[in-house]
Amino acid sequence: MFQLAKKRVGFKTLGCRLNQFETDAMASKFVAMGYDVVEDSKDTDVFVVNTCTVTNQSDQKSRYAVNHALKNGHSGMLIITGCMANHHKEALETQYPNAYVVDNENKSAIPQLVQAHFNKEIVPANTAQGGVFNYAPASETFHTRSMIKIQDGCDNFCTFCIIPKVRGRATSRSVEAVLENIREVVGFGYKEVVITGVNISRYEHEGVKFSGLLAKILELPLDFRVRISSIEPDSFDEEFFALLKHPKMTPHLHLCLQSASESILLQMRRMYTYRSYKEIIERLRDINPQFNITTDIIVGFPGETEDDFKASLDAVDQIGFGHVHTFKYSKRDNTRAARMTDVVPEKVKSERSQQLRKKAAEAKRSYRQQFIGSEQTVLVEKIDKRGFAHGYGEYYVPVQFKADEVKKNGLYKVKLIGLTDSKEEPVLMGQLSE
Amino acid sequence: MSHKVPVANKIKTDLHEILEVRNLTESTFVMRFERKGMEFEAGQHICVGPPNGIHTREYSIYSAEEDDFIEILVKEVENGLVSPSLKKLQKGGFVVVEEPVGYFTINKDLPKNQKYVFIASGTGISPFHSFVQSKPGIDYTLLHGVKYGSEGYESEKYDKKRYVKCTSREGTGNYYGRVTDYLKENKFGKDVQYFLCGNCNMIHDVYDILEDQGVSTDNIHAEVYF
Repeated sequence: MFQLAKKRVGFKTLGCRLNQFETDAMASKFVAMGYDVVEDSKDTDVFVVNTCTVTNQSDQKSRYAVNHALKNGHSGMLIITGCMANHHKEALETQYPNAYVVDNENKSAIPQLVQAHFNKEIVPANTAQGGVFNYAPASETFHTRSMIKIQDGCDNFCTFCIIPKVRGRATSRSVEAVLENIREVVGFGYKEVVITGVNISRYEHEGVKFSGLLAKILELPLDFRVRISSIEPDSFDEEFFALLKHPKMTPHLHLCLQSASESILLQMRRMYTYRSYKEIIERLRDINPQFNITTDIIVGFPGETEDDFKASLDAVDQIGFGHVHTFKYSKRDNTRAARMTDVVPEKVKSERSQQLRKKAAEAKRSYRQQFIGSEQTVLVEKIDKRGFAHGYGEYYVPVQFKADEVKKNGLYKVKLIGLTDSKEEPVLMGQLSE
Repeated sequence: MSHKVPVANKIKTDLHEILEVRNLTESTFVMRFERKGMEFEAGQHICVGPPNGIHTREYSIYSAEEDDFIEILVKEVENGLVSPSLKKLQKGGFVVVEEPVGYFTINKDLPKNQKYVFIASGTGISPFHSFVQSKPGIDYTLLHGVKYGSEGYESEKYDKKRYVKCTSREGTGNYYGRVTDYLKENKFGKDVQYFLCGNCNMIHDVYDILEDQGVSTDNIHAEVYF
């Protein structure tokens, strides 16, 4: 009996967790359609690059992913989607005439687009209506954590940020759709859900705000733990702090700081001050002294003086961040900051970036060091050839341990006994608890 | 179960006909244009530009929530890209307007007898004009920092007992000095909601002053003008 080979779809995902969520959801749909799903372009019939445009470097990485696939002989269907596709649609279509450039609004319809392509139907991408929340729950993804998209778009209009222009105005998914999504993915076997969106603290649907939604998620009578992805420190309420004490909540927040200089925060039109940021940190560390705070910091924003930069540098020690994602400011056209004139030279930006990364690496090691001797519940993501399990504890710190009879996507109590030597990414070493 | 699926919510842009232009000083004017059903909350801003260009600039809405038109307060910026073009436009012309955005708004959950202090520099008075016109009976004090008395921008529209014009270059206002000096000499208390709108330096300094006075950052709201 002659059997047709399965089609293969490859994905390259850049940028935020929302993109990861959307890739996972698409990948799962392709699996359901009978495709093999892989994480590169090699021997694929379809290659999807889910791009990011938040910085110039993101644009470059996105283009590199496309060029790399083509250079390595990808001759199948090529799809470029994500924020760069929204922002530079025409340029991408000109540069890659054989590619389908699909904006975020229609990203969820990519599987249908692929089907239409292979059915030899001429279906322009912009006629396959998607919708920003029209993603089926992903049963098989690249992660052991399931991303749950609750919101899209942003109305904050920070002066450096192009995202409101490409993701659009803030819009929130209905409470019931979010809860249904979680019920399904927990049913698939996921032990951890990550609440994600462009600006999740501004979630609001029919009067239910973010804390209200979170309370309903935590009330679900199912066995899973909840992680919150990147969140803005500008609209926390008392209920939110109370919910962080819930046993299902993991003690970690990626709380975007961007700068610890009050005047730079004003120039960025961030909706908080460094003072108020520190007050939030105090509340979090009152709840749990080891609470993991990770963040994003931009260096070299227009007008950033040495003193402004030093404030950000000092903040790394003051806060004791578990991880700092350092960005060199890059000008994005059509943003307010693009018109600011007091530009920081590239050389200075690079020097500051290097200093901040060094400081952040020290802070990360110091933060992780404190867990030695304690026990964490680790969600195993993979088991390597040497038989070591790798995963993340509830504080979102990476842990590795010898993995006899350990399974991927299982939760294990692990006693932490040491830290690897890596300067950039020291990993906690552990052993299974009795 | 199926749910209504929202689509990406792109910012809507439309052409609005100019209904009136009121010149307040040589460089500053109020432009009134069609509302066209645009919903907004006092304190929000819109991007406005000339009809034949690709550039727009952000302006806080000056008019009231109930008005059947939209107004913005514009200061012509020398060598600017948008404001000089807007200055040339007349009644009957058109402007490009993006829909309102922003969170510089009054929290509806606050009590009705809440006290507010509005602190503006220059055309930063615009959202406060909208607050005062939109919310009759609001308990406010408005501190307006300008260089000269002539920059009061329709100051007659505010209750005289609630409006303090702080002039820094001449003694023709209610107070001779910067708005920050006035604030140092006159404390309003910790339970007041403070709204600041204007240039970065003013906002930065006012934050420091209020913090010294023991005001919580939860009670301070800022909108920066560039």
